[in-house]
Amino acid sequence: MEPDGSGTWSDVIQRFNDLHPDARIRMVEGPPATNTREDMYSTAFLSQSGGYDVVFCDVVWVPKFAAAGWLLDLSDRLPAADRQDFLDEDLKAGSYRGRLYRVPAFTDAGVLYYRKDLVADSPATFDDLKKFSERFKDEKRWGFLWQGKQYEGLVTNFLEVLWGYGGDWIDAETKEVFLDRPEALLALQFVKSTIGTISPPGVTTYSEEESRNLFQDGRAVFLRNWLYVWALTAREDSPVKGRVGLVPMVHAPGKTNRATLGGWGFAISRFTSNPETAWKFVEFITRPDQLQYIHERLGRVPARKSLVPPEFEPILRAARPRPAIPEYAQASDILQRWLSAALSDRVSPEFALREAARETRLLVGP
Amino acid sequence: MKRYAWFIPALVLVTAVLVYPALRTLALSFFHLSLGNGFRLEFGGLDNFVRLVGDSRFRASLVVTGFFTIVSVTIEFILGLLLALAVNGFVRYQGVVRTTLLVPWTLPTAIIAVLWGWIFNDQYGVLNELLIRSGVLHSPIAWLAGPNTAMAAIILADVWKTVPFVFIILLAGLQRIPQDLYEALEMDGAGAWAKFRYVTWPYLMPFVFVSLTFRIIQAFSIFDLVYVMTGGGPGGATETVSVYAYQTLMRYLDLGYGSTIVVATVLLLATVALGLYALLVRRYERLF
Repeated sequence: MEPDGSGTWSDVIQRFNDLHPDARIRMVEGPPATNTREDMYSTAFLSQSGGYDVVFCDVVWVPKFAAAGWLLDLSDRLPAADRQDFLDEDLKAGSYRGRLYRVPAFTDAGVLYYRKDLVADSPATFDDLKKFSERFKDEKRWGFLWQGKQYEGLVTNFLEVLWGYGGDWIDAETKEVFLDRPEALLALQFVKSTIGTISPPGVTTYSEEESRNLFQDGRAVFLRNWLYVWALTAREDSPVKGRVGLVPMVHAPGKTNRATLGGWGFAISRFTSNPETAWKFVEFITRPDQLQYIHERLGRVPARKSLVPPEFEPILRAARPRPAIPEYAQASDILQRWLSAALSDRVSPEFALREAARETRLLVGP
Repeated sequence: MKRYAWFIPALVLVTAVLVYPALRTLALSFFHLSLGNGFRLEFGGLDNFVRLVGDSRFRASLVVTGFFTIVSVTIEFILGLLLALAVNGFVRYQGVVRTTLLVPWTLPTAIIAVLWGWIFNDQYGVLNELLIRSGVLHSPIAWLAGPNTAMAAIILADVWKTVPFVFIILLAGLQRIPQDLYEALEMDGAGAWAKFRYVTWPYLMPFVFVSLTFRIIQAFSIFDLVYVMTGGGPGGATETVSVYAYQTLMRYLDLGYGSTIVVATVLLLATVALGLYALLVRRYERLF
């Protein structure tokens, strides 16, 4: 699990243990960095030992863990009523080759935050984004902040722009790779054109918090980030309190906007000695009342249609998962490295995308 | 026999945590074992090594690691030596100075990396602020955004952290040198340089060897600073061998090939250490 600073997770687990005196669920807290927790699980699974029975599972781990045969197939356990209530994209993202391995708990998606005290109409296209950025930026304020460091976040940022131009990355079914199509080049050229003009030159070193701090200090018109920023900008001590609006990432004229889907859920290890208890726990913690409780305490957005706050609905409707392939980590690294090389002027965008497409085909191709 | 029994606990421990993993990594480097082949252990002979020779990402990471090691260890050694010589002259307060200088070395690297990341930040960074105020720069630089400045930033952070290590070892060496040698030279009318050249430097040699060997091995396997500060970016420009090995083993779950990267790196390092040994230790053998 993630670090449980507020004790919220312990509360929920305590409740479960009180209801099931014969079952004892014990929480293991991991470090806050998600990829470190991914490694903790991988290490335990590789040794084929018990280790963890229940996995608090990021959306991008599912294909890898499922393809490795480390997770139990939960398709037949999830009741139809729950299947109806969970967000469709989150269920899809918890599945691998048509079987469900992860029950969704919390959803997340990429959001374009904007200063509604400056920008009167909510922006819709890439041109709007540029135009308003130019108009409202000054010595103290940048136009558009995003995450350009060489890491997973860069891929999620790029994907939203790529989808907004009508392009795509990898088709998980047919294994087709689209990175050398014209839409991808338009997307990369757009992203690159923001650096040093409407975005700070250091944007290619930012991850989530660097960009959020600048935005929250009132030093930018737009910020691309995740849902968690919403609650933070609304806090009493936030300089931009009440002055922030949110939309899904903008798009090219005639195309639709898309958000990268994130989110967390619960899976069960194949090496567990107690699958029945593990399932009872997964069922319990993903119940509406428990998710609502965690939502109120931690601000996480429940992945149930009945519980999604209305202001997030348009974003979540636009959300789309990243390709569900077992080699995801490698495919993402290829894209990260070439995007980062193009953005830091080491190679041309054309060359970067051509090479990224070639390497990705070698990786996922038949 | 009884006497040897006392070694058994240590032997068991070393075997369990060092010998067994090392041998297993060596063995795995000749096998295919990955997510891609469904974790079936298949003997591949030299397959992985052939792949390694043709792997441009591995070559690039070797160049990055080699460059980082040579530059950072050279700077660290020179600064560490100068500091040790300076502090060795202090008679009063030497304990205080020594302890203060050691502080960076005692901090966890990952935390240091986060701090330096903020120092080099283009909007909030202290470094840009200082350079602009002192008139060196007109506008802030995004240090971690360019391949060369990112490498320089990592080297600077590493120098800051590890100069104390070189310093403390060389200081120990300096304090071991018999004072009567200096007195003898003084009688012969030798100056400061002659004292350094004929007494300090040769007597320091074993400590030079120890500090350089440790620093080269540690610098060559650098992971945390790079991983936290740049993630190997921009565009792989700061990706070291350890970062690549970590990605291959833990994220791509290619255990066979990942082991090959590790084994090749260890072999390379062993060669460097032996070279250093031949160069320094053999020459000054009688002093060891």
